Amino acid sequence: MIDVKHLSKSFGNHLVLDDISEHIFPGEKVVVIGPSGSGKSTFLRCLNLLETPTAGTITFENTVITDPKVKIDKVRQQMGMVFQHFNLFPNMTIRKNITLAPVRTGLMKQAEADEVAASLLKRVDLSDKAEAYPNQLSGGQKQRIAIVRALAMRPKVMLFDEPTSALDPEMVGEVLDVMKELAQEGMTMVVVTHEMGFAREVGSRVLFMDGGHILEQNTPKEFFDHPQNPRTQLFLSKVL
Amino acid sequence: MTFLEKFTLIFTNAKYLDSMLTGLRMTLAISIGAAVLGLILGTIVALVGLAKAKTPLMKIPKLICAVYVTVVRGTPMALQLFIMAFVVFAIRGFPLVVTAIIAFGINSGAYVSENIRGGILSVDIGQTEAGRSLGLSSAATMWYIVIPQAIKNVIPSIGNELIALIKETSIVSMIGMYDLTAAAKNVGSGQNLANYLAPMSVAALFYLVIVYLLTFIIKIIEGRLRQSDRR
Repeated sequence: MIDVKHLSKSFGNHLVLDDISEHIFPGEKVVVIGPSGSGKSTFLRCLNLLETPTAGTITFENTVITDPKVKIDKVRQQMGMVFQHFNLFPNMTIRKNITLAPVRTGLMKQAEADEVAASLLKRVDLSDKAEAYPNQLSGGQKQRIAIVRALAMRPKVMLFDEPTSALDPEMVGEVLDVMKELAQEGMTMVVVTHEMGFAREVGSRVLFMDGGHILEQNTPKEFFDHPQNPRTQLFLSKVL
Repeated sequence: MTFLEKFTLIFTNAKYLDSMLTGLRMTLAISIGAAVLGLILGTIVALVGLAKAKTPLMKIPKLICAVYVTVVRGTPMALQLFIMAFVVFAIRGFPLVVTAIIAFGINSGAYVSENIRGGILSVDIGQTEAGRSLGLSSAATMWYIVIPQAIKNVIPSIGNELIALIKETSIVSMIGMYDLTAAAKNVGSGQNLANYLAPMSVAALFYLVIVYLLTFIIKIIEGRLRQSDRR
């Protein structure tokens, strides 16, 4: 579904991603873990070109999206993204947050988008917040809305960039529950996270990144029970 | 006559009052015209300045905008007004009010553009990223997401700029125009009231009321825009 070939990214002289090649298959739940500064967020942000790769190609469903001629907006409409800091639009109601993109990209008429928003809100138990503004919500509620906002575009893949890292501990669960549900429905997901429990339970594959490389990858069970790379072992011994 | 009697006389004497009101209308005409022109110009210049130059050709409008802001902010308003009146629009029969509106509008636009630029940059980059990640174009993201939030941030400084603009129009008498300040000078002259304090005070009062009303309107707009901030 997403094919990454020889992806490199540097900020100035600082090489953040060093020649990464990887493939994400339909229906996979790829969990990317690693220490801060390992390049895992940059890797994720390259997948929908929020960061422009310095070198390499990324192909999404037979479209080479790193080609400057590709209409990137059309590609991004099929790739949902959820951010660490939610990034809800504070000047719009929740309903407007969800319907803005489907309506303005011409995917749906306002009435249809409103219906989609209503059913998505119901699904995350926030129907009563449709006319509220983001500032009136808790962190966990904001992130559930952010997930729903991305889903309203009916994406084929969802990218999560540390979706629970900015949350109070007691709100992490409600967000992970929504993500688990999404995973069970068969959504293709790439998740950068520090939630090892989620990686183990939901992930179909775990990637460990450090220093701009994918050092190790395996099924969650093998990865957590029998890490091979010494760097992985050290990391896991600290976080588990 | 005491000061108070002269002060009241300006409002009761038809000739004096008419004179002051004619000046007031001119001040308002220049201010409103220049404010509209300045806001439009400032917005365009700010957007051009913030746009990413993808080709070398696109650097030209950016350079023009940068030069415009630097020159306008770096030279005196009176000088700009003179250049407009005595050089650019030194055409017989060309209405001075249009000259003044253009001169003040161009001046105001430079300051407004800096305010708007700052306002747009103050919106969290995450807002742009969220918009773009949903597949909105950069123009749509700007228009629906960034600009509405930027407006909220720039309203106070735009208000300041408009207040400064209104007061600065008082120099138009230097090119022979009859505005509120010129009217005060005329009413106070020897052929008329032969006293400057009273008409100057009336003019001051008029300016104060205009600025106060404007401040009030800006407060209301700010309040409405901040509705989404309430908890």
